[in-house]
Amino acid sequence: MKILLRTPLIALLLIFAPAIVTKAQDSRIQLSSLDHLAAKASRTIEVNIDERLMRITTRFLSDDDADEKKVKELVNGVKGIYVKSFEFEHDAEFSAADVETIRAQLRGPGWTRLVGVASKKDGNLEVYLLLNGEKVGGLAVLHTDDRELTVVNIVGPVSLDKLAELDGQLGIPDLGIEPQKPKAKKEEQ
Amino acid sequence: MKIKIFIATLLFTFASSVVHAKGDDFKSVVKMIEQFYGVKHQGIPFLAKAGMKVATTAARIKGGEARRIAEAGSIKLAVFENQDFDGDLTKFRTSLNGALNTTWIPLIQTLSATTQDQNYIFLREAGDKFNVLVITITERDATVVQVNLSRKNLALLLKDPEGTGKSITEEATIIDQE
Repeated sequence: MKILLRTPLIALLLIFAPAIVTKAQDSRIQLSSLDHLAAKASRTIEVNIDERLMRITTRFLSDDDADEKKVKELVNGVKGIYVKSFEFEHDAEFSAADVETIRAQLRGPGWTRLVGVASKKDGNLEVYLLLNGEKVGGLAVLHTDDRELTVVNIVGPVSLDKLAELDGQLGIPDLGIEPQKPKAKKEEQ
Repeated sequence: MKIKIFIATLLFTFASSVVHAKGDDFKSVVKMIEQFYGVKHQGIPFLAKAGMKVATTAARIKGGEARRIAEAGSIKLAVFENQDFDGDLTKFRTSLNGALNTTWIPLIQTLSATTQDQNYIFLREAGDKFNVLVITITERDATVVQVNLSRKNLALLLKDPEGTGKSITEEATIIDQE
């Protein structure tokens, strides 16, 4: 009898578990579709500061030391920082389809494009926030120009001020972000 | 009683194998490079005892401004000099990540398909310290360095992974040039 009751329960768990996991990982975007670009890029940077490392950092770094405190403040509340950046020697070595694999994810539920985020760097900068109600669940930055493609994905509650603070630190390439009171604008589906 | 002894033996064997596996990653990476690229490393065993000397030398060469990063006596170093590192760098990266990703955190990786340069920094917790594994491969040379970091230097590494990784390699290899 117990087995009979347990079987549908296990079946239900098997059906819903992936959905639960997907929900929890919503703000982590998949960047592996860009991996093939490393074979032709003159410079590839990949940063993976995951939740394990974030936990270690918060647990071990002290508030008494200025350097440790600064890094602790930088990562405070952040659950992960993931970067993929490619620089090429020639124009058009990555395709619109490559960029689309990232944009498609950022058109998903909860993601909102911010307008009015300025950058000192040339090229096209797109900043997206994942909103869970009124709370920010994550952030993504897509920077492209003729010879560069950079994606930065920060998981967890993060503001634009924090993004500007992180810019050029923790292995994040310098995107020259200058927050100027951006407005949220839902991306057209 | 016999059961207790058996369980104790099992636990001891398991604990030893875990420690052994953890400590062996440096050698595994060196071997992996040798097999993948068909090269041979030159070991520098005395470096393991030369932490303080490395630090002093590094500080002197850099005009006294250099900060000591590696904990004294913690440096493991393998150097590959004047050999060909000709191979598919993305394949090598996949193998390396596959071998290390269960126990190490891949902090930062930089590659260049044009110059064939590769830099990898992996990190793992080791009690109240951190092990850092820095692998640098260029067209003709490579180094594998493993050091222990204090909390303060972990902060440095996180803030500037690329710069600190370079300093760790420089610190470990400067004594080789004396």
